[in-house]
Amino acid sequence: MISNDGKTVDAEMQRLPIAGNLGKSRWKRSKIGRKDGLIAAIILTPMILWWLVLSGFPTLFGFVLGFFEWIGISDSPKFVWFDNYVRFFQDPLYYQALWRSMWMGGLVTSITLVAGFGASLLMNLPLFGKGVYRSIWYIPAVTSTVATTQIFNILLDTNNGVINNVLVSLGKEPIVWQYSVFWGVFWIVVYSVWKGVGGAALIWLAGLQSVDTALYEAADIDGAGRWGKLMNVTLPGLKPIATYIVITSLIGAIQIYEQVLFMTNGGPYGQTEVLVFRIYRDAFWDFNLGMAGASSLIMAVIVFTATVFYYRWSTESDRRTTSNRNRRRGGKRA
Amino acid sequence: MSQTIKSDFSKRIAEQFKPKYLLAHLVLLGVGLVLLYPLIFMVLAGFFTKTEFMTTVLGLLPIPKAPTWDNYLTLFNGSADAAIRKYFLNSTLRTVYATFWALLTALLAGYVFARLQFRGKNTLFLALLGTQMIPATIALIPTYLQFARWPFAGGNDIFTGGTGILDTWWVYLIGGPSINIMGAFLVKQSIEKLPYELDEAAKMDGAGTLRIIFRILLPLQMPIMAFISITTALATWNDFITPFFYTSSDSLQTLPAAITRLSSAAASPGAVPNWPLIITLSLGTTLPALLLFFFFQKYIVQGLANTGIKG
Repeated sequence: MISNDGKTVDAEMQRLPIAGNLGKSRWKRSKIGRKDGLIAAIILTPMILWWLVLSGFPTLFGFVLGFFEWIGISDSPKFVWFDNYVRFFQDPLYYQALWRSMWMGGLVTSITLVAGFGASLLMNLPLFGKGVYRSIWYIPAVTSTVATTQIFNILLDTNNGVINNVLVSLGKEPIVWQYSVFWGVFWIVVYSVWKGVGGAALIWLAGLQSVDTALYEAADIDGAGRWGKLMNVTLPGLKPIATYIVITSLIGAIQIYEQVLFMTNGGPYGQTEVLVFRIYRDAFWDFNLGMAGASSLIMAVIVFTATVFYYRWSTESDRRTTSNRNRRRGGKRA
Repeated sequence: MSQTIKSDFSKRIAEQFKPKYLLAHLVLLGVGLVLLYPLIFMVLAGFFTKTEFMTTVLGLLPIPKAPTWDNYLTLFNGSADAAIRKYFLNSTLRTVYATFWALLTALLAGYVFARLQFRGKNTLFLALLGTQMIPATIALIPTYLQFARWPFAGGNDIFTGGTGILDTWWVYLIGGPSINIMGAFLVKQSIEKLPYELDEAAKMDGAGTLRIIFRILLPLQMPIMAFISITTALATWNDFITPFFYTSSDSLQTLPAAITRLSSAAASPGAVPNWPLIITLSLGTTLPALLLFFFFQKYIVQGLANTGIKG
């Protein structure tokens, strides 16, 4: 890139397709562009092909199954158009599971995010040992769901569970947690919050620390109180990270099923079944492959819609803030 | 200079005792201990012998009368239960294998999407990223069928006849070389922050693509590579689905899968689960994950912050 015509290397660099000005440049048709394509093909083709075989194909196949009636692997599948989808919205087994996924997911998300936000405000103070607090709070997130749900089950054992033993020593009646829908949901939610709250706190904390400190100083000069600063500086500054964490947490929470599987197993009488647990049951216990496929597609559509909304929302607010910033910059120059 | 640092320091110490900060300490520590409680319970329960655990009335903090290291030692020497050591080994091998491939594919693909120009690049990348929104559960049954009908394996002719690669080590190995999409996304973001002059300078010195990736860019990607390896390692280590559904031989089980098999979900209704064995296996699953976390926690915090802010 040594230029003979007196241009600096920098000027030469301007023409390079650094992220952002790709696609339309003359570059694509140049020799180097073609060489790029060749290297990209050599590197990407094997790993993407392999991914298509092992993930792409099974996923597509799963969606196609939703249009078949196929009960038991040895039976032959029968094409039934939209029958499985019609059944989904008529059979309480399914639409109630979907409804439970939504409200339990909403409950888990709101408790996790609110508690995590409170914790992040405290972790943001100049405390000694705040690194230790961050680690302690995050530890549940790295544990195995299978292992820790079993520990919860031991604590909740009817005959010799710690929680019942404590209740008895306080003079109360022991509770058979497994017979009650309320307690089933309660402990699933407690477990999910236990696992998620530390991660939420860390992400909120990163958000808090990315808020421009100059804004706080400006607020101080304007004589804003602590509450005023929280409402007018912190919360607006957290908006991008808030949309991110709300949507991703919701997407994660409506797909909860491992804790249901290992803690209540859907019981009592299927009253704690959520949709992904239902899919799992259809697939592995009832061998109703058609319904599993149809339910998966419905879950995928919900998750996908939520994601698209999120992207719309975040890019829109991005655009708004950038244009504001540009206006401000323009103002300064003038 | 040192005077001001010192007085700053003592000022900070004094600050910690202001009511507001004391309260913050109290809440963070108190709730933190509650969060840690199930794990503390598990570690304590690990010191019980099987009979003592079943006969003691468990209090909030169960302390055994005759503590024993047996449960912990079983994980390593397998004296009581040789199978456990096998599970441990299987878990470790498959985690190392999966992490290696995740790093390699993420780095290579991340480089391609960050630096090379080719037609349809952005479309391809967005399409790959979009597939990450599809719940993975949908692919479980088709994958089972695919593994069962894998051509020329396990007694199969082209598609049928045998059990394919089900119940072989291949169910752990086969997914390795496929692209790690989230990792590639993170590496792409991270490489795009580096100046293109780096690549150019290396190219002028006659470096090829691989040399640019591994010698120039890789050393600058270490935080993100650490984040990818810790998340992949934890996800693989904790995964119970693959061994639970695609294998049945005892010699192929991993720790979480062994717990799954013992858990009430798999046991016949009414049966009392073997809690002490489950606790031992849970210890074996959880302690290495915690160890990994303590070694890499700086990168986890950083990585979470990055992915979070990126949106």
